[in-house]
Order: sequence, then C-alpha cells, then structure tokens
Amino acid sequence: MANCSICGRQAIYVAKSGGLALCKKHFLEYFDRKVRKTIRKNKLFNKNDHIVVAVSGGKDSLSLLHYLVNLSKRARMGWRITALTIDEGVSGYRNYTVKRVKELSSTLGVELKIASFKDYFGYTLDEVVKIGKERGLPYLPCTYCGVFRRYLLNKVAREIDGMVLATAHHLDDVVQTYLMNIFSNNWSSIHKLTPSLTSVHKLFVRRAKPFYELLEKETTLYAILNGLYPSERVECPYAPLSFRWQVRKVLNYLEELRPGLKYSTMRSLMEATSLKNTALGEAMTCRVCGEPSSREICKACQLKAELGLLELRR
Amino acid sequence: MVEEAGGIRVKVREFGGGIREVSLRRGVSVGELVKSLGYIIEEYVVAVGETVVTEDYLLNDGDEVVLYPVVSGG
Repeated sequence: MANCSICGRQAIYVAKSGGLALCKKHFLEYFDRKVRKTIRKNKLFNKNDHIVVAVSGGKDSLSLLHYLVNLSKRARMGWRITALTIDEGVSGYRNYTVKRVKELSSTLGVELKIASFKDYFGYTLDEVVKIGKERGLPYLPCTYCGVFRRYLLNKVAREIDGMVLATAHHLDDVVQTYLMNIFSNNWSSIHKLTPSLTSVHKLFVRRAKPFYELLEKETTLYAILNGLYPSERVECPYAPLSFRWQVRKVLNYLEELRPGLKYSTMRSLMEATSLKNTALGEAMTCRVCGEPSSREICKACQLKAELGLLELRR
Repeated sequence: MVEEAGGIRVKVREFGGGIREVSLRRGVSVGELVKSLGYIIEEYVVAVGETVVTEDYLLNDGDEVVLYPVVSGG
C-alpha cells in the first residue's frame, strides 16, 4: 500500500508519470496547484470577471463550478460566476443532470441559466436525430449535439453578459480531440486546442479550460472527495455511438500499458501548435444567423439546412 | 485469481450498479482485481468501503470494493 510521498499517510492517488503518491490532503493541494498554474500561465481570468461556466451536470463540470466558486472566495478574485446548462432534449438523460446542476448552483449560491435546443432551435436533439435519419444524413447524434451546443454556449454566454466561457475540458478530452483531428487531417481544429481561445470577432466569447492539464482520473477523484460524483449513473444514450468513445477506450488501454502516454501526446500537441492564447485564424460572420463562424455559413446553419429546418437563399 | 485454500471473498460494486461477490487468493491487490474483472484500471477510481485506495492496496477478506467509473458518457 502506497504512502504519501509528502507526509507518509495512506495514499489515495499515485501520479504514475512522476511516481508521486498523495494522501487526500496533498492530492487536493496538487490538484489546486495544477489548476492555478494553468490559469496563471495562460491568463485565463482577470479579477472581477463575469465567468460563465458551462455545466452539463456531469462530474467534471460540477467539479469545475465547485472549484472556481471556491477559488474566487479563497483568492478574493471577485468573480461573478454564472452556471450555464444546455438542455439538448435527450429523454431520460438530461432531466437527471439538470437536477444536479440546480442543486449544486443553489448550494454554492450561483446564478443558473438553462438554455434548451427546443427554445432556440425549435427541436429537441431526439427530434433532430430522427429528422436526420429520415433524410438519410450521414451524421452521428454527437455531431448535431456538439455543433448546436457550442453555438448556444457562445450565444447565451454573450446574451447574459459573460466575459469568458469556462469549460471543464481536461487533458483526456484534449488529447482525444487532438488524435481525432489527426485522423481526419483537420489541422485548423487542432490549432484551437489551447487552454484559452480568443477571436477578433466581437460576438465570440473568450474560452477558458482551467482543467486543461488534469487527467480525467484526477477530476473524477476531486468529484468523489467533494461529494460531487453523481449518485445515480445516467449516461447519454448517444455517447457510446461516437468516435470519441472508441478513441478514449484505446487511449486508456495504451495508458495502462505505457503510463505517461497521455502527457507525451499532450506535449506533441504543444509542439504542433503555438500555445500562446491562439486567436481564431479567421473571424467571419455567418451570413444566415450573424454568429461568429470560420466559414461563410456557420456549421449550425449548415446542419439546420441539411435537416430541412432552414432554407438557404443564394 | 481463483479461490484457493485460505482464499478471501470480497464484494465488488460498480457505482450505480449491482453487487457481486468474488473469490480471490490471499494477497491480491486492487489493481489485479480490476484487471481480472476485464476492466482497465485507468478507467476507475477504487474505494474500499468509504476510503479511496491506490491500486497496490492488498485486499482483505470481507472488503467491499467500490468502482467509480472515470469514463462517463455525456
């Protein structure tokens, strides 16, 4: 049984790449040090910022909300924090996770904004998936969900005067996305895989990923130790269909065989991009909806047109 | 990982799932147990009772092992 490398008490976590064993107290300090370093190094937040935290109700986003609210108090940052939840409309799933967000927001005393696909697009994700199938479109449910969710997060964060949109992406997410984009030779997306993302487009809300350097195992442990790990296991029924699900499995398998592989893949990403607050290369405006886009018509409007929910005029 | 004379029995519960009882030889670690169940240790945080443990923790007869999945969909 491993003992804490710092105090000798029973360890609860071993950082395999560095061989450091940590007890509960020293794990939480290690966690805090890592996140604060990411925030400081990448200038993610300023004092008195209005931070909008994207909270799905999963363990990672609940942990991010909990961490930032506590950090703001401890470090006297004066942040105004608003939780933003997107209700995609997945029956038997999102209703459970929204409940968790409501409970934690209320406990922490933060404002909560819920925006639904139904209200903004006129259709739930379940309905969109059904329409896509009927029209023979080649997309997986996660494609619609990802595009529409990112679109809404930016739009609603801006509508509620957010200065920065914080998401709970951790090192595992980033490394998975990096590999997925290598497989599809999508280098413009790889260049966006930075801890902070800005754009000259005035409608784009700056992004911040405070958990960028944490493993998913570490955010999970933080959630368990702080009573944030969901008491019922409810998963999105569409998730196992995604390519990400397969990439994640392979990566975890390889990490077990070769500890430290995720970190070295992250270092590869850092080599591949210049990580200093990369600005979005192009700052176009979608000619249909007026939202920021990297192309003439944004991905959300393009999907809506393919689904027959929008008519594009030449 | 089969039961031998002087072996131990532990209860294994995947968080949010059912409980099963597993027979093991004495001196088996949490990491070996997880592997023997066909799981990847990278995808679980493991507790014995209420306490989170590292994968080299040696199991005792009657331990209740709780597996918290790291990977979640959504």
